[in-house]
Amino acid sequence: MLETLQNLYLGFSIALSPTVLIYAFAGCVIGTLVGILPGVGPLAGISLLLPASFGLEATTAIVLLAGIYYGAMYGGSTTSILMRIPGEAASVMTCIDGYAMTRKGRAGAALAIAAVGSYIAGTASVVGLMLLAPPLASFALRFGPPEYVALLLLGLLALAYMSGGSVPKSLAMALLGLLLGMIGIDPMTGYFRFHYGLVELGDGIGVVPVAVGLFGVSEILLSAGQPTPPAVMKPMLRDLLPSRQEWRDSAWPIGRGTVLGFLIGIIPGSAHIISSFVSYAVERRLSKHPEQFGQGAVAGVAGPESANNSATSGAFVPMLALGVPSGPIPAVMLAAMMVHGISPGPLLITQQPELFWGFIASMYVGNVVLLVLNLPLVGVFVNLLRIPYPFLYPAILVFSVVGVYAVNGSVVDVGIMAVMGAVGYLLRKFEFETAPIVLGLVLAPMLEMSLRQSLALSSGSYAVFVQRPIAATMLLLGAALLLLSLRPLLTTGLDWRRSLGIKQEPSLEERGDP
Amino acid sequence: MITRLLATMLMLSLALPLAAGAQEPFPARPISLVAPFPPGGVADLMARPVAAAMEKVLKSPVVVVNKTGAAGAVGMSFVANSKPDGYTLLMALSSISIIPEADKLFDRKPAYTMDQLTPIALISADPTIFVVRADRPWKSVKEFVDDAKKRPEQISYSSSGVYGTLHMAMEMLSHAAGITLKHVPYAGAGPALTAILGGHVDALASGPAVVLPHIKAGKLRPLAGWGAKRVAALPDLPTFKELGYDIEFYIWAGMFAPTGTPEPILRKLRDTVRQAVQEPDFKAAMSKLETPIAYMDAPEFQKFWDKDAKMLADAIKRVGKIEEKK
Repeated sequence: MLETLQNLYLGFSIALSPTVLIYAFAGCVIGTLVGILPGVGPLAGISLLLPASFGLEATTAIVLLAGIYYGAMYGGSTTSILMRIPGEAASVMTCIDGYAMTRKGRAGAALAIAAVGSYIAGTASVVGLMLLAPPLASFALRFGPPEYVALLLLGLLALAYMSGGSVPKSLAMALLGLLLGMIGIDPMTGYFRFHYGLVELGDGIGVVPVAVGLFGVSEILLSAGQPTPPAVMKPMLRDLLPSRQEWRDSAWPIGRGTVLGFLIGIIPGSAHIISSFVSYAVERRLSKHPEQFGQGAVAGVAGPESANNSATSGAFVPMLALGVPSGPIPAVMLAAMMVHGISPGPLLITQQPELFWGFIASMYVGNVVLLVLNLPLVGVFVNLLRIPYPFLYPAILVFSVVGVYAVNGSVVDVGIMAVMGAVGYLLRKFEFETAPIVLGLVLAPMLEMSLRQSLALSSGSYAVFVQRPIAATMLLLGAALLLLSLRPLLTTGLDWRRSLGIKQEPSLEERGDP
Repeated sequence: MITRLLATMLMLSLALPLAAGAQEPFPARPISLVAPFPPGGVADLMARPVAAAMEKVLKSPVVVVNKTGAAGAVGMSFVANSKPDGYTLLMALSSISIIPEADKLFDRKPAYTMDQLTPIALISADPTIFVVRADRPWKSVKEFVDDAKKRPEQISYSSSGVYGTLHMAMEMLSHAAGITLKHVPYAGAGPALTAILGGHVDALASGPAVVLPHIKAGKLRPLAGWGAKRVAALPDLPTFKELGYDIEFYIWAGMFAPTGTPEPILRKLRDTVRQAVQEPDFKAAMSKLETPIAYMDAPEFQKFWDKDAKMLADAIKRVGKIEEKK
């Protein structure tokens, strides 16, 4: 413990040195801007700016890149809440209740809760990273393909709690998402599937263009189709801050989201995306008022936002402790280290204590910077809503196109976004929810890959899923959760969806849910 | 009067470069060097120092553009189909020879053909090395091969993807040694490394720089290298050739231009790269990446490429289409 404190002192002496501090600040600012631009998420931001870090000293470069990374995670929530445009896949869940809060005039509160939740999650997970990195990293590496399958199946269970409407409809949407996820090169045989001659479809359909299309573009189309333009918001100063009740409703979701996100984040791979979906499902399951979810429940913003921020720090655990490229973003950061002649590996912490502890300390500093930066900006952002719609919406559309194009420099992606915007418009007209499509699309390629890897490893035997303790435990947990969620349906025939059906707006409730 | 004079001068200055046309010394505007993989990948990490060194030589900007997708096919076909004027160049890896072969195998319309690209220079060639987990029993290639013969399809290896470079390297070994291993493809070299470190597979073919720290930390054990010469950082590691297997495999990075680029421009580019690889900054950058510079000028590189492409084509044909096992 004493040693940790000494190391931390060393870290802070580096992180608070003027150069490093300036770059940490610059990283947070750039990251926030990158996050605000629709479509450009942390991976795109960090990749675009990686070359700029080559000229810097190693620790400074890593601190800058990390700042961009968590800055973008913060910034991603802003457009989700204000305009229903997810900056990246992890913000999809924030769109639902965050935007609903905006429509109710609580945009400021939603932004403030997201910022504070992210701050708490960010800071708490750095503590976790600092104290637990080496033992946790070795544990995380034991997550092989079979464990991944079990984890993703657990993620799929989140579906049951994602939508407020009819269950068959949301299952249909999830299936559509899973089917979209089948497009691209078959990872085990190299066959192209459903590519229609487009080389760009070889990698499959990106989550970002789909999410921006389904959420953002469809919202613009729906608003444009209304007979009377939506009233322009006139946010008041007192509306900017969350009420006492909103704070109280967010406290536990932030705590749970932090732990959940960190645990999912340390697992190598891209599973951190599902942390916000799972957190949303957990909050809805535990909430006393599940019917408020989708209508602007503050817990639906606090939980997922905290989860996706602590997953960010979680992802650094295997990277720093073992030098393992545990996901796309850590892989880019490892490349940045190699450019500076640092070999990332299990000996990094002992051989490069300045880098490791400087990095840890800079994350504490960075989280404070982001909070200080973002809270006053809440007022500025909320005032964007004062812009009349004839000016605001075309501008959003332009930024969406630019953002989605910038990720891969691909016109095909822009096309996908446009098609998904139209599809999303139709689906929402028919009262289908679009979030399950995104979850399906996120899960399908990962689930397929790890399922087939597991079977390749076991030479085709499904027993591999029950023979391995971690996988078996998770599958058991999943089965238990599934049974629990079925219980109210079986015993009383009463589900929270029913009470939701009564409370919904009449315009949405023409079907008359039985 | 003065305004009109200024306007005329402005117009002249705008018109001049257009009028000069072909006589204009190359390059008259920035050159873009396309890396078909994302920032931080091998192609990108090679392209950036080369571009920086070329800028110094040419005194004109050389910009690295990442055009990614479909295992590099998007970026490579982009350059292959670009205007052959020397302003769009490609930094490709060994996989440039794999994609057209795989397309052929599946009767697909090829994204590009190799004769659409003309080599300029080879920049680096890193021999892959063969590593196994340190807690597995094999201490030498012989022990590994003997065990694999006893237990066909039991010993597993991870790769960067089906028909990827790391898969091809292992396929060459399996073929030369007459063994069958269990192949578990991953989405990229990073996840493949994570898989062996996590103990989910037994073996891996990899570039030396990435696995060196894990070898030093005692997590992985190198058994042999695919190069013609031993790897400088691992002087005790034998090559497969020394052990009697006639296989050679490199992950190389080379620069290409679209075929049809005028000869004088190609010559200028070749001269530029020759000088660029001598720049001290370039050498320093490459040594930090622990990647040996293996410069070859176009004629030599063409021969190297032809040989390498043939070897890969044979390996792909041997693998054939992967059918689902029933």
